[in-house]
Amino acid sequence: MMLVEIVNPYYLQVGSFILINIILGLSIYVTLSSGQLSLGNAGFMGIGAYTSALLTLNFDVPIIVGVIAGAVVAGLFGILVGIPSLRLQGVYLAIATLGFGEVIRVFFVNWESVTKGAVGISGIPHIGREIFMVLKDAGFDPAIIGLKNNQFVFLTVFFVLLLINILLVWFIFRQQNSRIGRAFAAIKMDEKAAESMGINITYYKVLAFVQGALISGFAGALFAHVMSYISPADFSYHRAVEILIFAVFGGSEVIVGAIFGATFLTLMPEMLRFISEYRYMIYGLILLLMMAFRPQGLIDVQVLHWFQKLRLPKRRAEHGSKNQKHL
Amino acid sequence: MLLEQLINGITLGSIYAIVALGFTLVFGVLGIINMAHGEIFMFGAFIGVIITSTLGLPLWIAFLAAIIVTGILGYMLERVALRPLRGKQGVSHLAPLISTIGASILLENLSHHLFGAGNHPFRNAFAEISFQIGSITIYLVQILIFVISVILMIVLSYWLLKTKAGKALRATAENIETASILGVNTKRIIILTVVIASAMGGIAGILVGMAFNSVNPQMGLSMGLKGLAIIILGGMGNVRGAMAGGLILGLSETLIVAYGDSGYRDAVAFITIIVILLLRPQGLFGQKTTAAGR
Amino acid sequence: MVLKIKSISKNFGGISALTDVSFSIEEGEIFGLIGPNGAGKTTMFNMITNLFPPSSGEITFAGEIITGIKPHLITEKGICRTFQNIRLFPQMSALENVMVGGHSRSKSGVFSSVIRTKAQRNEEARLRGSAIELLELVGLSDGIGTEAENLSYGQQRRLEIARALASKPKLLLLDEPAAGMNETETDDLFDLIKKVQARGITVLIIEHDMPLVMKLCDRILVLNFGKKLAEGTPKDIQNNKAVIEAYLGSEEDEQSA
Repeated sequence: MMLVEIVNPYYLQVGSFILINIILGLSIYVTLSSGQLSLGNAGFMGIGAYTSALLTLNFDVPIIVGVIAGAVVAGLFGILVGIPSLRLQGVYLAIATLGFGEVIRVFFVNWESVTKGAVGISGIPHIGREIFMVLKDAGFDPAIIGLKNNQFVFLTVFFVLLLINILLVWFIFRQQNSRIGRAFAAIKMDEKAAESMGINITYYKVLAFVQGALISGFAGALFAHVMSYISPADFSYHRAVEILIFAVFGGSEVIVGAIFGATFLTLMPEMLRFISEYRYMIYGLILLLMMAFRPQGLIDVQVLHWFQKLRLPKRRAEHGSKNQKHL
Repeated sequence: MLLEQLINGITLGSIYAIVALGFTLVFGVLGIINMAHGEIFMFGAFIGVIITSTLGLPLWIAFLAAIIVTGILGYMLERVALRPLRGKQGVSHLAPLISTIGASILLENLSHHLFGAGNHPFRNAFAEISFQIGSITIYLVQILIFVISVILMIVLSYWLLKTKAGKALRATAENIETASILGVNTKRIIILTVVIASAMGGIAGILVGMAFNSVNPQMGLSMGLKGLAIIILGGMGNVRGAMAGGLILGLSETLIVAYGDSGYRDAVAFITIIVILLLRPQGLFGQKTTAAGR
Repeated sequence: MVLKIKSISKNFGGISALTDVSFSIEEGEIFGLIGPNGAGKTTMFNMITNLFPPSSGEITFAGEIITGIKPHLITEKGICRTFQNIRLFPQMSALENVMVGGHSRSKSGVFSSVIRTKAQRNEEARLRGSAIELLELVGLSDGIGTEAENLSYGQQRRLEIARALASKPKLLLLDEPAAGMNETETDDLFDLIKKVQARGITVLIIEHDMPLVMKLCDRILVLNFGKKLAEGTPKDIQNNKAVIEAYLGSEEDEQSA
């Protein structure tokens, strides 16, 4: 059969990493779209991951419930951190969230009775394998569609994540082109003016911050059930910087930017093995260069317009170019 | 026992204070949080290891070399990460924070490649010298660290208040445009600030190496975050606040290790950051107006 | 009485910007607030919209005390403003700017915005429709899709008025709307403000263009060094000795300078 040869578990795995990283990139994008910088998204990711892993392992909760619980708990922590942090402007918010992320990590390391400390938690139920088991019990055999078991498992993970990504992008895109998105953008551009135009800035800032926390927690929970293994090191300062760089590199003003950033930066070390060793040095360089030469990221509204013009002769330009928002 | 812990705490706190002074200086003048300061400090520590342990040269050369190398790193940081963003239209206030994060990640991983990932012992005969007073042991290094940090603070305060360069620096901190109209070479002052702050980080690096006999690439991050906690505790841009904040953090960490759960030692700094930012954003020793402005 | 200002004072770190100022505005009138630079006019606007709280005093709007109420709630109650140093959302189109102005008169939440419920779509259509209508009113029909930062200075001033009107205010605060405008534009502005008045909206205006103020306003309050100097009809003000001395004197200074 053809499928056996086409479906390569390694590519699928890389694809799954990309999809998880896109979710993380979107998590910081949402918060940035209201003009706030959160460096705590690695912490929220960790909360989501540990919550879901512990629930599924210790209480036999189905993965889907665990993942939702992980996202919700991260969101609750987001409210807890977000509301008081609103008194803080710009850099102070970034530092407070950075401190929060580190506190969370220290707790994961030290709360050994529950989190197994620095060793981490292994044997977390795997999304693909769980789905496979359910289908197998129902009498399904991957051989019917010409796949080996492990191919089917990786393929399932990939498509589950792809579906989630599509839903999430759809959610963010629609929210952005609405009253909510306009309020976020107004706050980002001029907080005082936004307030004078009747926007409850406290509410919308907390909303954006909590959405960011929720999405990171969601990504973390998925991460746990795709890797089957998590440890506090997965949610360190380096992860926070990595999430930040997805948006800073790809572009923090348009959704496509964060998606591109996450995709490119996940693929790069996989495609160019020799780069992998120098990955963080390159990350550092990217941050330096982007801030100096292109603080809005590689893809901004102009680039999008340019692409639309290129496509115009072939296909009628798609609707909504007018709605394209500078964030 | 308690007395010994207090001495350890003061030693640790003094080092924290020197690191925090570097943060405070840059923040005071430029209004920028230099996220790469911890990594520059870490480079200073590695220079100390190389000069004394690897090359077997005397300690004073290590200090000199560390000051030079970290000073150069500071200069490069200013050129690459800070200057391109200054005075540019439409650059968000988050940009320097992000670019110095970039520099920190770059330096940390550069040191991985240059020096290796593991712990490097800081072998030095000087670090072994100790004496007994009653039942407690005091290392000469501990006294040295305390003395150096106090001297640095006094010199810095004096330099800021009394010398011409210091006055220019304070004028620049007050308002860069006004200062440059008044004839202050603000470009040079800014470079000077970052270089001095970095060199102080280098000195702190060597002192840490001697006090803990271990140097690794990750120490920059943890020290950087602690320095950050201290200036938030002591008030941003406040020299005495940095000193007091350093001692408070050093003592409370040491006491947590001695009488509480050592694993949570690192959490003290971050919980401090969060609590202070929420309850008293201007810091313990800061004034309300200064915290709101720069 | 739409707005009643009762002995408002404001100190900024020991310097008093406003001292014991009282006045009230009747429904439907155009009320001018004039005075030399630094007299505390914009501070008064910031007190009314509560961007800063007053040090003492009380502000009543439509029979309700509004001192200490959050700015966005004041907009909701029916006061909206423009800014002396134009504060549009620069990278948004003119249309979007005005739609943001309608924020407090719409209520779609996250859920209905993402699902695009019928109510939400109707609301968006209504916001868009009234924004287009307002842009026509201020004479910006051509620039609907243009980003605010790419509009001319005069256009930006008019866009700010449209944005403020989108919040359906009972009281509109205009902070130097004619600043930087040429004669034709100022004439258009006169017509525009008259049209706004005709819609039943009370207008409180800060303006340096004296001919415009005298032509436009029903009543005028003069501030000098944060204190009330005079209050009355344009005629009263023009004939008031204290005003001529303090205000016109300073204007001569400006001219000679």
